[in-house]
Amino acid sequence: MTDQLPPKDYMGRDLLEVAEMGPAKGPVEQAEAIAAEADELASTKPLSPWADTWRRLKRNKLALVGLVIITVFIVVGVAEQIAYMTGVQLTPYPPNKVDYTQLTPDGYPAPPSLQHPFGTDDFGRDVLSRVLVATRVSLLVGVIAVAIAVAIGLALGPVSGYYGGTVDTVIMRFADVFFAFPYILFVLLIMTVLGPGFRNVFIAIGLLSWATFARLNRGSVLSVRAMEFVEAARAQGASDLRVIFRHVLPNTMAPVWVAIAMGVGGAIVTEAALSYLGIGTRPPNASWGKMIADYNSMLWAGYWWMMTFPSICLVATVFGFISFGNGLRDATDPKLKE
Amino acid sequence: MITFIIRRLFQLVLVLVGVSLVTFIIMFVIPGNPAEMMAGKNPTPERVAVIEHKWGLDKPLYQQYALYVWHLAHGDLGDSWRFNRPVTEMIAENVGFTAQLAIAAVLIEMLGIPLGIYSALRQYTFWDTALTTGALIIWGIPVFVLGLFAQWLVGYKLGLLPITSADAASVFWVIPANLDSVEALIMPALTLGIIEVAYISYMQRSSMLEVIRSDYVRTARAKGLSERSVVLKHALKNALIPVITIAGIDLGALMGGAIITEAVFSRPGIGSMIYNAIGARDMPVVAGGVLFATLVYVFANLFVDIGYAFVDPRIRYED
Amino acid sequence: MGERLLEVSDLSTHFFTHAGVVKAVNGVSFTLDRGETLGIVGESGSGKTVAALSLLRLIPDPPGRIVGGRISLKGTDLATLSDDEMRRVRGNDIAMIFQDPMTSLNPVFKVGTQIAETIVLHQGVTKRRAWQMAAELLDKVGMPDAEARVKQYPFEFSGGMRQRAMIAMAISCNPDILIADEPTTALDVTIQAQIMDVIREMQSQYDSGVILITHDLGVVAQMADKVMVMYGGRTVEYGPVDRVYYDAHQPYTWGLLGSLPRLDATEKERLTPIKGQPPNLLLLPQGCPFAGRCPYERGECRGAFPEVEMLGDGHGVHCWIPRAEREQLRAGLLRFKGRVA
Repeated sequence: MTDQLPPKDYMGRDLLEVAEMGPAKGPVEQAEAIAAEADELASTKPLSPWADTWRRLKRNKLALVGLVIITVFIVVGVAEQIAYMTGVQLTPYPPNKVDYTQLTPDGYPAPPSLQHPFGTDDFGRDVLSRVLVATRVSLLVGVIAVAIAVAIGLALGPVSGYYGGTVDTVIMRFADVFFAFPYILFVLLIMTVLGPGFRNVFIAIGLLSWATFARLNRGSVLSVRAMEFVEAARAQGASDLRVIFRHVLPNTMAPVWVAIAMGVGGAIVTEAALSYLGIGTRPPNASWGKMIADYNSMLWAGYWWMMTFPSICLVATVFGFISFGNGLRDATDPKLKE
Repeated sequence: MITFIIRRLFQLVLVLVGVSLVTFIIMFVIPGNPAEMMAGKNPTPERVAVIEHKWGLDKPLYQQYALYVWHLAHGDLGDSWRFNRPVTEMIAENVGFTAQLAIAAVLIEMLGIPLGIYSALRQYTFWDTALTTGALIIWGIPVFVLGLFAQWLVGYKLGLLPITSADAASVFWVIPANLDSVEALIMPALTLGIIEVAYISYMQRSSMLEVIRSDYVRTARAKGLSERSVVLKHALKNALIPVITIAGIDLGALMGGAIITEAVFSRPGIGSMIYNAIGARDMPVVAGGVLFATLVYVFANLFVDIGYAFVDPRIRYED
Repeated sequence: MGERLLEVSDLSTHFFTHAGVVKAVNGVSFTLDRGETLGIVGESGSGKTVAALSLLRLIPDPPGRIVGGRISLKGTDLATLSDDEMRRVRGNDIAMIFQDPMTSLNPVFKVGTQIAETIVLHQGVTKRRAWQMAAELLDKVGMPDAEARVKQYPFEFSGGMRQRAMIAMAISCNPDILIADEPTTALDVTIQAQIMDVIREMQSQYDSGVILITHDLGVVAQMADKVMVMYGGRTVEYGPVDRVYYDAHQPYTWGLLGSLPRLDATEKERLTPIKGQPPNLLLLPQGCPFAGRCPYERGECRGAFPEVEMLGDGHGVHCWIPRAEREQLRAGLLRFKGRVA
């Protein structure tokens, strides 16, 4: 499971159904809705959907923690990416330079200390620097993989939902095939054919995940399509494509953002697993997963820091994405809204 | 109900065709020289010729595909060049171990159900918050990270359980043959299971929370049913449905998806088989193994869907 | 009418949310006799449903709670009952039908199971007997082919049939009081009349009291003996239906009656909806909750909520406007629009 994005919502329902349910009745829900309205009235301008979501999200502490964690890592990742592109070194020590002088006097990896907060590895390289650089790789893979999946999924999904009929059936059956494969095995299969490496990883993951976004999106599109403002746009002579992408799509994005958050988390984990299996990213583009795999033997030899810190980063980042994603889903749940 | 099953079976056929097509493309169309890929390292020209003949590589693509499907229908997934054996034979040897692991892991993850229910009924209390936070954190831990640390801690440092399952043995496919084998099963199963428990308990909690607030639960209370009856009878049946389907699908997915756990613990199984084949570039085994695991997964989904329809009558009538 | 079944005095139910206290029901009083039908009307958010749920003590706690008042069922104060005792009241002495039969019936249980379980619970008969009775009940509420239907699932029923099933479930234990919360709102117009007929018939058969909650004044006019108009959690006017409809004294009631389309309206007369929005129950002002929207508002209105003013014949109103002035205003409205009363 940890490798597969759920194609329906957590109740096993098509998201189309969820969207159709509309606002809740009942006095408790009414009371909560009244409270929400009061919040809104307290501020002077009407709340946009974003602001409303943010307000609800703020109440979810776990999601906020997740957001903070993600932001920290993204900042590091972006900084490192800039460093990578400009050739500047942003880490305390050169991450890949072998330096035996940094080892302990006996020639062993140095444990965490003031000069090396995460210690050094067996080649004297500063672990903190390596972790920082690996942040860029891990995050980049996650982001690009999901970007690919979203690009394909958000092209095919709305088309499928909007036109319906044969187009819809064909595209959805096509997506079914992608859902049929166990996620990690399919990725492995593609990686075997393409070969290992940074670029192939996100191609493989992206190619497989598009189906989730397509299906997600299609359901919302189906329900939005029937709404009146679509008719209005068409009455004004907008072409089909324009109607889809300019009018329908923006209103269906809520579950997609959630899927993106979860998707990036999932992609990072998948890449790490692939690296462990030996067909993920390769040096010098070491990711957290690769570091964990490489330094496992060090753990057994008694030098725990090399494997532990990348693990913590990995777990923290994934937790961040999952918890933020969950929070986002709760905050945009139509049943809790007015 | 019958129409539902028939519709699903029809869908199944389409999916199987699609799956075989995809595997075919990956195996035969994308690689530059499929025959050489299947023949392995340093193949003799005779060997390559034999393969070319068997899979009809000199013929047009659609005929190749037809031949491929014909082979599949006869249970022929090709031969491993590395071991010189039919892939199906290798699968038969390994499937028992993976099944053991899958069943054990799913049994463990069922613990998530009572945890989730308890959490939902005690919403906003300390335990609920603690369990939910814990679930979210654990859910995100990658399997291999947990596995590697567990292996080191429990196997090496504490010496409680064997580090690898390399010499596990089983009888009747799924039953561990001796105590050693049982011990070898524990850590991999727990590693997989714990992460899944986190997921299941979170999902069960969400499901339960939603059901508890529903109109029909309110009706049940309005009729004067005891709280116990309301929860155990009315709420539970509805709340369990999505979670049971998740567990069922997991069982199918783990048949192939346990590859990482099997790799970490050097455990024999379908996953290990595929993993080793990848390293050795033994394409027929890789493709055959993936195809097999996919087949299992697809059928697991089918059974789960049908089971779902039994339990929730509404599904039978939906599209 | 018959014996006094229910006496509610000064009922208040509040919801304690993170944004503040929602005073959903605020000092509401009414009575119900055997064979009598009380209609409770108001907009959404007026507190009608919360009041009904409070009778059954079905308010979820947190965040809601009954904070004051007496609910006296044939002499017993329901607030003093233990949980077990209260459960014996629910479904047995007081039964409730809910608004949306689609979501109010458990989708994974057969209709017969859901009816039978109430019977088994309160009447202690065997399951077999309970199922028989369930089929009989379905027949009684006018379900065609009841024997077969009782073994089916709710989704196999149409909206009207589901509501009949809910009614059957509610009357299964001969309740003294039947509460119907917007029983026809979610149904087709053509079915509405049928369902109201069923309720009326069951009432006369079992000689129960009925509390009908609705925003549909027409239904109340046809079925109810008394009506209570609620706004913003408070009662603003109540009394026998004839009196309230033909001699309405509260500006809100005028607005309600005036916003009804009438078949005999001429072209020149337009529908006059009540201007403004329903009140925000979190920021309820002191005083009359209708004050902000009332076209005749004056100083006292925001200060405190007016005590009841009895107008004779069990007709009471809560309004600060002096009686004489009210009657003048109403006559004025009558002249201009020919609508009110």
